[in-house]
Amino acid sequence: MKNRLKVLRAERDWTQSDLAERLAISRQSVNAIETGKYDPSLPLAFRIAALFAMPIEEIFVPEN
Amino acid sequence: MPRDLRGETMMAQESASGWRQRPGFYAGMMLGSFGAIAGLRLSGAINAPTGFILMAAAMLWMVPLVRTGMDRQKRCGMLSPAIVRYNRRFMLASFGYMLGLGIAVWLNERFDLAGAVAFAVALLPVVPTLAMVWTMARYLVEEDDEYLRHRSMIANLVGLGAVLSVGCFYGFLETFELVPHVPGWWAVPVWAIGMGAGQGWMALRKKDRAEG
Repeated sequence: MKNRLKVLRAERDWTQSDLAERLAISRQSVNAIETGKYDPSLPLAFRIAALFAMPIEEIFVPEN
Repeated sequence: MPRDLRGETMMAQESASGWRQRPGFYAGMMLGSFGAIAGLRLSGAINAPTGFILMAAAMLWMVPLVRTGMDRQKRCGMLSPAIVRYNRRFMLASFGYMLGLGIAVWLNERFDLAGAVAFAVALLPVVPTLAMVWTMARYLVEEDDEYLRHRSMIANLVGLGAVLSVGCFYGFLETFELVPHVPGWWAVPVWAIGMGAGQGWMALRKKDRAEG
């Protein structure tokens, strides 16, 4: 799964720690999701979408 | 003091006392102490009670090891309240294990234990070991961060795989009388080593990806 988390974060001038704090997760988790090492669960994906006020499919897209 | 200068001061302090900030240093000191004490005991230079007291003292390396480990986890953005509780519980269980093992070995060497008494004495190191297992289970329940929980579960599965593989392989070697008998409690250290290897493998994978 690819995602636009890094771009969306940069647009808001947020650090990984800022985003982690807003999502109440660890910075390591943000890093793992951004680098595609870990795909978030559906509840976390919904929280991310709500934070950026965007539909999930505009943030996360399938590899193919 | 301005924020930037404060950060530079902290970095300067860290580099000045770099080795004291590294968990590896304390892990090395603890393992080195264990090795030296085991060597003294095997060579007959010290008796069993002295060896036990020295081993218990060497366990104190665990305090700075856990403290510096948590500092590092905090810097890496991996320290959660559940990890703090896990470290505290695991450290207490480790001290309990050392104490229980020492008392059990001491009693076994001095008295002809049998029946219910032997069973009760055998429980002395077992109860803290069960506390370690409970601590790991509680961590999985209490960890709110799903990625950290995922990492822990992968490490646990690698540990389980190590126990099953080593246990099965060694068991058959023993059946065919190729190796000496090994007590079943070795499953716990093998599991712990497997978990450590799992964590190390994930850290290496992360490094590869960061560099890639």
